Amino acid sequence: MCGVCGIVSHDGPPDLGLLRRMMGRLVHRGPDGDGYYRDRRAALGHTRLAIIDTSGGAQPLCNEDGTVWVTFNGEIFNYIELREELRHRGHIFRTASDTEVIVHAWEEWAEECFTRFNGQWAIGLWDRRAERLVLSRDRLGVRPLFFTRGPTRLLFASEVKSIFADPSVQRAFDPAGLDQTFTYWSPVAPRTVFRGIEQLEPGYYAILDRDGFRKAPYWRIMFPERGREPVQDTQENADALRDRIVEATRLRFLRSDVPVGAYLSGGLDSSVTAAVIARYTDAPLHTFSLRFSGSEFDEGQYQKKMSALLGTQHLDIMVNASDIAAIFPEVIRHAESPILRAAPAPLFLLSKLVQENGYKVVVTGEGADEVLAGYDLFREARVRLFWSRDLGSAKRTRAAELLYPWMARSPGRTPAFARSFFGRRLDPDDPAFSHRPRWDSTSVIKNMLSQDMQDQIGRADAEDVVAAMPPGSKDWDPLSRAQWLEMTTLLAGYILAAQGDRMLMANSVEGRFPFLDRDVVDFADALPARHKLFGLEEKYLLKRAFADVVPEDILHRPKQPYRAPDAASFFTPDHPAWFDEVVAEQAIAAAGVFEPSLVAGLLAKCERTGGEHMSNTDNMRVLAVVSTQLMHECFIVGGGWGALDRSLPDPSVAVDLVGEDGSVS
Amino acid sequence: MNRDIVGQVLRDYQALCRPDTDPELEAVRAAILLEDVFGIVLSDAEIDPALLTDSSAVADLVARLRGAV
Repeated sequence: MCGVCGIVSHDGPPDLGLLRRMMGRLVHRGPDGDGYYRDRRAALGHTRLAIIDTSGGAQPLCNEDGTVWVTFNGEIFNYIELREELRHRGHIFRTASDTEVIVHAWEEWAEECFTRFNGQWAIGLWDRRAERLVLSRDRLGVRPLFFTRGPTRLLFASEVKSIFADPSVQRAFDPAGLDQTFTYWSPVAPRTVFRGIEQLEPGYYAILDRDGFRKAPYWRIMFPERGREPVQDTQENADALRDRIVEATRLRFLRSDVPVGAYLSGGLDSSVTAAVIARYTDAPLHTFSLRFSGSEFDEGQYQKKMSALLGTQHLDIMVNASDIAAIFPEVIRHAESPILRAAPAPLFLLSKLVQENGYKVVVTGEGADEVLAGYDLFREARVRLFWSRDLGSAKRTRAAELLYPWMARSPGRTPAFARSFFGRRLDPDDPAFSHRPRWDSTSVIKNMLSQDMQDQIGRADAEDVVAAMPPGSKDWDPLSRAQWLEMTTLLAGYILAAQGDRMLMANSVEGRFPFLDRDVVDFADALPARHKLFGLEEKYLLKRAFADVVPEDILHRPKQPYRAPDAASFFTPDHPAWFDEVVAEQAIAAAGVFEPSLVAGLLAKCERTGGEHMSNTDNMRVLAVVSTQLMHECFIVGGGWGALDRSLPDPSVAVDLVGEDGSVS
Repeated sequence: MNRDIVGQVLRDYQALCRPDTDPELEAVRAAILLEDVFGIVLSDAEIDPALLTDSSAVADLVARLRGAV
């Protein structure tokens, strides 16, 4: 895992000094080495976290004759098989790295090569002969890739802060990006929260050459028409799913030249991946977990049980509200987006624990909830659909009690809650039926925006996520439509970004996600919806496939969404000084995003309770305000770089084809 | 959709799901599954614990509501 950046210039050689500054902002992603390449049109930079072929494999790396160069962040897990195929086709390899496969695969198959990769990647590839830059990002957006385009050049990088190393790049919030964030929880690619900064969509490649800039998908999230799924037999599908997950996990554990650990949350998904590693590999396994001092969030008993069962060497870190507040500015500097939950902060501390114990790579259960239907949102949508068929039915109203046990314990509250929350927007023909309650409740944040920001959002031309759904999606199962929306919005924009890559790479740790393996995802997408969400039983096929390796009480425990203390983190008696500064009336007014008087009212409400027992909406509002204010201070005003500017070691690759007089060798 | 598939679905349901202690709520849970899998709509009278825990009765019900056996 690494940091990548580059410049393509139409009016003279790219500025090598700028490239080095861009690389300097990515050292946390790759502290083991760095390198660069420059010719008269392009420059590629790389900071390396050495995982495969640690002695070779330095980047940027080229083909046999130095005409194709690549800077690459990620892993191509099937690189051994691809290398053999390419060798048979006459390509000569100098290293044992997966990176070298990319340049030869590009020579052999051009853009079709991306369909052959099974992995997680962000790629910048420069073809000197064609003077062509190729950018590519993995199918679901595990690895980030940002760029900005101007009339004379294009800059790209793993993180926006690297692009901002160029002082001429505009620093301003994008109103449409903020609008999306305060609706979907994150901007949706290609949009970001920064004006003029784009992110390449997951599953896309982009080309910049003499014919201009263009991009296209090499893969799309697709589901079969309901009833036309290729295999209907439950056991046959359970066996096939197990085979694919075992293989995906083995690939991610074994294809590394450094030790690989695993996260263990106490839930089903990470229990499955850890159990597969323990059962199907010979190597000792280290597992890492988050603990919370509050019992509301803690899953320690399940973590310990699973660790003991698998015989892993287990480490955990206890996190409390003050810990979250203390590191929150650093979390936002890495996340590069407003966040509506504090949940990324503990994950920052967890990856720090991993790094401090000498590990660079962890396997986690991320993606299972989206791919195999584990979220409450999917269950809620099914209940709402059930309810919508007869709104007058007293029996159907009771279905809400099946979602949340507290409803059954407090039956007096059920009808009112059910009507107010689940009873809205009950149009079964709405393609976004599943997501309206979440989007509506999140959008309440926008009531706190300043009038100016509301006006800017009103004038912005934001993309319509629902309109972008594939034409054939009307024939999909409703669950498939919900999965498409979840993968397109929250998975790529938040789970894999602010809560995933950024919190891992902040401490130079690579995450590997078996549930997002190409073959697992393609297989899961083709399953009958009932095999994923069976009635209200979430991740049904996964439970069935791995019933023999996961203890009963973990297999059947009610799903506990990963959460951390939100507003309460910032209203402890010892809360840090930065908090008062960023939410001060003057600071709110200076940022111009929120209305100061409304923020003051919200904060006063939190003060009265210490941030405890706040509604879901108020928790989101607090996080939105605090994180947006920190974003403004760090990225728009630009004063928050201190912790991120790190010096580069001597480069392992230093290829500069531009002489001091501007001549090209 | 034939009786074999109805039977398979009910067996799968009974094997994995945790029966709720409230029979009416359990009937609601079963109704959600049946409506989703078989594309039918049950009346309140059919969301009945006695009816929805009997495989044979459910098969008849599904067949009737789908208009085919």
